[in-house]
Amino acid sequence: MTTSTFQTRPRLTPALTAAGALLATLAIAAALLALGGYSPGEAFAALLRGAFGSWDRFVSFTLVRATPLLLTGLAVAFAFKARVWNIGAEGQLHAGALAAVAVAVALPGTPGLVLIPATLLAAAMAGALWASVPAAMKTGMGVGEVITTLLMNFVALFAAQFLVQGPLRESRGVFNQTDEIPAAAHLPDLVPGTRLHIGFLIGILIAVAMWLYLTRTPGGFRLRAVGASPRAAEVSGRFRARPVVWLAFLASGAIAGLAGGVQIAGITHRMYEGLSPGWGYTAIAVALLARLNPLAVVVTAIVFGALSAGGGAMQRDAGVPEVWVRGIEALVILAVLTVDRSWQALAGRGSRG
Amino acid sequence: MNTRSGNREGQGGSESRAAAACLRNVTRRFGPVTALEGVSFDLVPGEIHGLLGENGAGKTTLARILGGLLPPDEGRVEIGGRAVALRSARDARALGVAMVHQHFSLVPRFTGFENIALFNGGAWTAKGMAAPGYRDRVEARARELKLEVELDVPVARLGVGARQRIEILKALMSETGVLLLDEPTAVLAPREVDGLFAVLREVAGVGTGIVLVAHKLDEVLAAADRVTVLRRGRWVMTEAAASVSTGELAEAMVGGGVGAVAGKPPAAGADPAAATGKHAARKVASLHGVTVTRDGEPALRDVTVEVLRGEVLGIAGVDGNGQRELARVLAGIRTPHQGEAALPAEVGWIPQDRGHEGLVNDFTISENVAFALHGKDTFRKGPWLDWTRIEETAADLVREMDVRATSPAATAATLSGGNQQKVVTGREFLRGADLLVAESPTRGLDVKATVAVRSRLAALAREGDRPPGVVLISADLDEILELSDRIAVMVRGRLIPVPRDAHNPRDIGELMLAARGQAHQDDDPRGSARPATGSGPPPGGDHR
Amino acid sequence: MNHHLPGITALTLVAALACGGDAPASDDTPTNDPTPGVALLTPGPVSDAGWNAGAYEGLQRIGDSLGIRISHQQTLTPAEFDEAFISYADAGYGLIFGHGFEYQDAASRVAAEYPEVTFVISGGSRPSANVVALIFQLNEASYLAGMAAGAVTQSGIVGMVGGVEIPTAKGTFVAFEAGVKAVRGDATVLETFIGSWDNVSAAKEAAAAQLREGADVLIHNVDAASFAFFQSVREARERGRVAWAFGMNRDQNGVAPDVIVGSAVIDYTGMFLQTAEAWRDGTLGSEPVYSGLATGTVEFVPNPEQEGLIPADALELIDRARQGIIAGTLEVPSIDFIEAEDPVSSL
Repeated sequence: MTTSTFQTRPRLTPALTAAGALLATLAIAAALLALGGYSPGEAFAALLRGAFGSWDRFVSFTLVRATPLLLTGLAVAFAFKARVWNIGAEGQLHAGALAAVAVAVALPGTPGLVLIPATLLAAAMAGALWASVPAAMKTGMGVGEVITTLLMNFVALFAAQFLVQGPLRESRGVFNQTDEIPAAAHLPDLVPGTRLHIGFLIGILIAVAMWLYLTRTPGGFRLRAVGASPRAAEVSGRFRARPVVWLAFLASGAIAGLAGGVQIAGITHRMYEGLSPGWGYTAIAVALLARLNPLAVVVTAIVFGALSAGGGAMQRDAGVPEVWVRGIEALVILAVLTVDRSWQALAGRGSRG
Repeated sequence: MNTRSGNREGQGGSESRAAAACLRNVTRRFGPVTALEGVSFDLVPGEIHGLLGENGAGKTTLARILGGLLPPDEGRVEIGGRAVALRSARDARALGVAMVHQHFSLVPRFTGFENIALFNGGAWTAKGMAAPGYRDRVEARARELKLEVELDVPVARLGVGARQRIEILKALMSETGVLLLDEPTAVLAPREVDGLFAVLREVAGVGTGIVLVAHKLDEVLAAADRVTVLRRGRWVMTEAAASVSTGELAEAMVGGGVGAVAGKPPAAGADPAAATGKHAARKVASLHGVTVTRDGEPALRDVTVEVLRGEVLGIAGVDGNGQRELARVLAGIRTPHQGEAALPAEVGWIPQDRGHEGLVNDFTISENVAFALHGKDTFRKGPWLDWTRIEETAADLVREMDVRATSPAATAATLSGGNQQKVVTGREFLRGADLLVAESPTRGLDVKATVAVRSRLAALAREGDRPPGVVLISADLDEILELSDRIAVMVRGRLIPVPRDAHNPRDIGELMLAARGQAHQDDDPRGSARPATGSGPPPGGDHR
Repeated sequence: MNHHLPGITALTLVAALACGGDAPASDDTPTNDPTPGVALLTPGPVSDAGWNAGAYEGLQRIGDSLGIRISHQQTLTPAEFDEAFISYADAGYGLIFGHGFEYQDAASRVAAEYPEVTFVISGGSRPSANVVALIFQLNEASYLAGMAAGAVTQSGIVGMVGGVEIPTAKGTFVAFEAGVKAVRGDATVLETFIGSWDNVSAAKEAAAAQLREGADVLIHNVDAASFAFFQSVREARERGRVAWAFGMNRDQNGVAPDVIVGSAVIDYTGMFLQTAEAWRDGTLGSEPVYSGLATGTVEFVPNPEQEGLIPADALELIDRARQGIIAGTLEVPSIDFIEAEDPVSSL
């Protein structure tokens, strides 16, 4: 059980395993595509082209798609780090989106310098508020947050449906969508000439701040300790887990809520049903694949964003139907996970991150 | 206490017969912990064989190996004279080995008869009813064993003793040569204990060998024919129950093994009597009439104690008599339900459960050390933790405590139990607190690590200008005797001081038993609890 | 702490290399194709046997009869709408269908940057120079269906089960109700929107609830959930009730021939083909393209399996109404949702 055991292990094996897993998965995907009558080469080429084909594609497609995954992924990673199993990023995202629209639409004529922060703050606060319900149930009554956060997702989705069909419906009253937010509330472009808005930068900044917090501050240390062992935190660290758990819920909810606000202010400019295709759930995979490391979440979110953008290109350029694309995406994620595990074995066990 | 009912063969006779079961040089490890080391054990038909030892001595592991629940790492298991490889409890049962667990495995809504029929599966018909005639067999078996069982009442409505009899009958419905009982008396009231032993004698009377796992000496001596004592995973003795005394057994359970390392406390300075004048100045912590309940039961009863700077107060006693609660009250993370606790702002505490409470396995040594430092200003730079400084401190600790690790960046999971304990011990020293609580600090450690940790503890209390007061809670009497200036015994939530002239294993062992006997009859909660302060009678009772 | 970062990065590269070997990534980009193609975005799977399937068939017809390259993408989120429009426009597609009102905002945004590309939005609400609204006057066929329902109902109670309450769906119901009342002035018309196009159990429950309230003829506009709707009608009949249903969007007479009176049908295929031909010929202006009984792409089709169910005199009335609508003498109620010139793209 000493570290030297791992170091003496031949390093080649995991590398081969990783390469083998990747090739095998790609071969399976290619075979399936061929069986379905689609050209595997064309499909994979389209996937890569869609995600990385040009600087503009990478920025406008992949990074734009990665942005909500980045923010929700960070939200999930932060909560999971404290052993708060927040499955509710999806609902918190919807709460944030609704609050963002409500605030932005209610304040026409406000300059962007005020309106954008107000909109995003409202989104973050709504997300935190949404997360506070399961937080109170966990800390107060010991109700497991897996169920409560999940159920709160449905509440949020139905609330969004109700609001866009009723109180928040566009003033024309025709479609089930809210009014468009004022132009002043639109997020500025991050890269001029592309569709990438500063929401992506916000995500990067949060990732860096979260990483610093977790690794460099006493509060982050306590949060990681509670996540690793609440009893050890109490006995060895002599601090109570409850405030830490609250912090994890609220911060996670706020970041997920922000994801909703950023999507509204940056892309859709209004709210309607079906805003999210399940980012809050994909975020769990994003966070886990990053081993809950906020900096790695940036990378995994981009990988998922690339897969998603590439999937669209697979449909357009290779004629592969959407359900197939999703199946291929799932296979690629499996391959990535396998490779990641093999890489872990290669690097040795026991990361503190 | 040692009287037997029933006339059965003596020890000599039984040894000539084929063993019902035996273990040969069995070793079993759990990760870095060796739970059993080269233990041999044999059980003859018709005997009740008491298996004694402190918690963690390995007795449950031994029973589980015999019951097929754990495979041994080394050594051999024989049932009925044949070497066998048990892969599951089912394998063991097929060979006639039945086990009654500490926690029962009965379906609460089913009646006793339904539970028995359910467990002995073949007895069912297609209609979901027990096969005709099975009821007669169950009743006949109960008569044969003189087992009073309620067969037609859902077991949820039965008392613990009655449920246990169902459990035993259930286990004995098929051909059974070996019956294993894991701490069967732990859940029983004293009167029920007598009833259980009467049943066991009947069961043994039909030729079944019984292994009775327990840690209560008097009960085992009352019931068993032979007694085997384990200590720290090793075999210590096997004797006919008639030829040993409780004192000898107590000594075998807790004493011997590890030699003295730290030397006796120095006579001058540490003698509390000599320091009476400076008593108030030396007091670092005190409990006054402290009562703590757990699950509605009192776990600490009216405990009054003072801890003085520069002394080691040893708290002896069998595990589970309130030591855990005492440590938590002293560490300041449990508030007494009654009474007062005057404690220093910070307390060093080496918790008993190193793996779950003392350390985070996924954290590095530095991070685990940071548990004692993260709140201190000297280890911060503005809003940040000063990791450089924490890592330096951890590196110093690794060097000073002689922790065998590649570096302070190694995770706790990669350390052996002894090295883990050195990290915890060193870290709690780092707090620089006036009070240090050490809970079973050497349990599970090998001899070398034990010596190291004990000598550090001894040095801590004796050296420096302002040494802390140390409370050493341990079931290991040797350890208590070796390190303590004052000793108290913990029995059923009470703290009983041990006079200086009784500082020897036999007297302390007897004191535990005597106090237990007293506690059985004593309804006055304060009757047996004399405060364990070293000097001067503390004010008693007026705190209410 | 970060040792797996290079891992993920590396494997992304490995994946890039492994895939890149199959086909050169950017050499054969469709951008190089000189003939403009036609593309379609649908909000749902083209296997829905309804809204999306009809559009997809139309796209395939365009490919076959115009000999032009076609492409389709199913989109899930608004971020994808923009992305897909841009990708198609960049790749040289000259005509892009967005099959649903939800594509309007994205089309308006993207259209300004691609003046040479024509965007056609089904149910679009903000036409501009190169954003064309495709308006399905399915309400005209619904009106005729309503007349048939008024003739068939015995209880005088008729039900309507809708998906999401959007103008096009609402419009069909407004017209249906008017049609019922044109034949049977005292009829009661029930209306339910289940808030989803594919919630099978909600569709089934909503139909069952209306049947319990005494309705004996039901029409739906729930797209993919219509199978459950028909099932509900069939179950009511098995309990001895009189129960009839209408198909919607596509000719569903064959889907449930035992319970269907007739279907209000849009010929998406014909409509898409007509639009694409107009685009090729340069006659597709910026005015909304209407498709109704007059253009021959909307029709009410009685179920041939149930001949005689609709009384002859009622069929006579229906035919007369049909002529009136085509001639413009009979105006069918509708829900108007076209905005003035799109303010965004007119800047």
